[in-house]
Amino acid sequence: MAASWKPLLFQILLMLVSCRHINTKKSAPTPTPPVPITPLPTKMRSVVLKGSSHTGEHQAERIELLNPVKLSLECTWTGNQTKAPNITGYWTKDEIEIQDSRLTVSLENEQYNLRRVFSINSEENLGNYSCLFGNEAKIDFIVAAPHIKDVRDKPIVSYVGDSVVMTCKMEETQPMPTSWNWYKDNGTDKEQIFAAPQRYEITSTKWKTRLQVINLTEADSGPYYCGAVYAISTSMSHVELKVITFMEPLKPFISILIEVVVLVTAILIYERNRSRKNDEEESGTNADQNKKLPQGEDSGEEESSSMRKRNV
Amino acid sequence: MSKSKQRSESKAGEAEGPDGGWGWVLLAAMFISTSLVFGLMRSLGIFFVEFVHYFEESAQAISWISSTGLAAQQFFSPLGAALCNAYNTRMVVMTGGFLAALGLILASQATCLVHLYLTMGLISGLGWGLVFSPMVATVMANFTRRRTLALGLGFSSIGLSSFAFNPLFQLLVETYAWRGALLILGGLSLNIVPCGALIRTQQQSKAPEKVDSQSRSSCADVLQRVSSYLELSLLFERPYVTYTLGITLFNVGYFVPYFHLVAHSRLAGFSEYQAAFVMSAAGATDILGRILSGWFSDLGHFRLIHLLSVWTALAGVFIMLLPVSSLTGSYAALMVISMLYGFCSGALTSLAFAVVPKIVGVERTMGGLGLLQLIESGAGLLGGPLSGFLKDITGNYVASFMVAGSFLLLGSLTMVTLPHYFSRTDPPPPQRRSLVDKSKSLHPELQQMKSLPSDSNNQTAQHSGR
Repeated sequence: MAASWKPLLFQILLMLVSCRHINTKKSAPTPTPPVPITPLPTKMRSVVLKGSSHTGEHQAERIELLNPVKLSLECTWTGNQTKAPNITGYWTKDEIEIQDSRLTVSLENEQYNLRRVFSINSEENLGNYSCLFGNEAKIDFIVAAPHIKDVRDKPIVSYVGDSVVMTCKMEETQPMPTSWNWYKDNGTDKEQIFAAPQRYEITSTKWKTRLQVINLTEADSGPYYCGAVYAISTSMSHVELKVITFMEPLKPFISILIEVVVLVTAILIYERNRSRKNDEEESGTNADQNKKLPQGEDSGEEESSSMRKRNV
Repeated sequence: MSKSKQRSESKAGEAEGPDGGWGWVLLAAMFISTSLVFGLMRSLGIFFVEFVHYFEESAQAISWISSTGLAAQQFFSPLGAALCNAYNTRMVVMTGGFLAALGLILASQATCLVHLYLTMGLISGLGWGLVFSPMVATVMANFTRRRTLALGLGFSSIGLSSFAFNPLFQLLVETYAWRGALLILGGLSLNIVPCGALIRTQQQSKAPEKVDSQSRSSCADVLQRVSSYLELSLLFERPYVTYTLGITLFNVGYFVPYFHLVAHSRLAGFSEYQAAFVMSAAGATDILGRILSGWFSDLGHFRLIHLLSVWTALAGVFIMLLPVSSLTGSYAALMVISMLYGFCSGALTSLAFAVVPKIVGVERTMGGLGLLQLIESGAGLLGGPLSGFLKDITGNYVASFMVAGSFLLLGSLTMVTLPHYFSRTDPPPPQRRSLVDKSKSLHPELQQMKSLPSDSNNQTAQHSGR
């Protein structure tokens, strides 16, 4: 009789120890409790893939999430021509097979059915979940936070000492972000930008955010990221800033200036030579003609002959 | 570039008489300077987006920049004409080119919107005004039989350059941001200065003679001189006033398709790409129309004024047909009508300027053009908002296009009331009521025209303005 108490006592002791362990875990400040206190809402998504003769069928579904949820995904495949009674089905996340997800799926009502519940708590749980039926059918569920659609692909150019405004906006048809952040790339990682007088100015409304960088220097060049913050993760969009000095456009400007000066000088010199030649030739013609006809006509005649003689 | 054109054309020009020779060089100069004035103005839309983003102002505030520029160009046209009459066309055009460039260069340093109004709007506009009318008048003076063709070729530069400038400006803005791009544009505008340097004036035109006869400048004398430089006497002549009224009516309706065709095509259900393509096609036929109408008019089969009335009436009809064609939903119909409209509007542009010497006489063309630009500017300012207003009331563009087309037809009818409209040949241009000795009072390039019989189509004497 004493022998049967011993394992029980041992178990109780063990439980106490583990409870204490759990207690210490709880008392220390932790970002997320291992087991959520309030149950996560559940979101269901079900996709039916119509089977056909060729293998390698594929379908994708986008799921947009704002908050942590329990996501229940269901895949139904109507099967191919050879309706095998049993088939292996499994799940992958980002092309990597999820452990212990392989199941044998049996044909029910001419369909194969796979269902699994995923806890989407934070950013690392987002990704591309796929259910696969053997090697033959695949359905993708792209689980992500709302992403920023219009991305400016060309860099924004600005000048040293000038200020520049970069904006990001979220389509109003999509859910509203809780807040906006701005980040700058400092070589290794993204560093968040905070408003500073005479340096950075951030104004955000619900759907738009605006970062103004004042008094630019060349070091400010580089990629900038705006992040739309949702409970589940932050969606980033990036914009490239390029800061140049005024020397850059000055170079083509100076070259055009030189070209203009050269042309004008050449034309004026040519005109002066021509009029000098005209004066010489005029003094050779008789004075009567000069009185009767206007001077212009005379020089016109000379011009025509001089144009024939002229070699450029 | 002008020198090589000289080389190739001078031999051909020699054989033809008063047309050609140096006139072709001046035509090349006009080609370049007009493209740097109007081609540049038309492509400023690229900066629009950049300014809205940088200054964070409304689209309307930004669009005032180009409106100010255009208004300044037209307002200062009589000033440009007067200065050419008083002084030296070469200096005026060179100064104008310099001012236009200066405005753009200063604009690159702007820190607020008002700076842009003053620099890109006022200063550059002043520069453009000093360049455009004098250049056109000079080219017209250097051609007689081929005047309209020369004008057509010269004005084709506007369409061609806006094709080239749009991608170029886009590239400049992407590489250097709007500040650097404006600086480079200022540099490009400086190319107007060598174009102006090519203008030849052997002697001063009106100033010395005036000084001879009126030794003291009293208030009345100065006013008289100024009024003669500005050719204000033209405002009292019925043919000129009628013509100006006609052109003003054209201008009310002329620009409406340019403003609204794209929006109308979108409303009719066509895609953005299709709508833009319609505009490009109309632009291409516009260029073609300018050149072909110029060539055809110079063949001399018809009087210029008759041709102008025909093209204007056709343009009016096609504008009215535009909404009809798109209402049927057929893209092909819209394209065809737009291309026909483009052709007619290009055709009438070359003629509209070429008719001026016929009405006022060649010597007064400079002033006549200046005043014409000023008076027609009001119409341009009226036409856009009016059609926008009609669209706001009725909800679509049908009414706007109808009204625009009817203005063109109205203008055409006004032309009919010109004296001697129905005669087969041109009437003699009115003799200038000059206050000074006639032999010395004329612009040297134009004086040969005056000494010959009035029908300036039969030019035989050598033209002095080579």
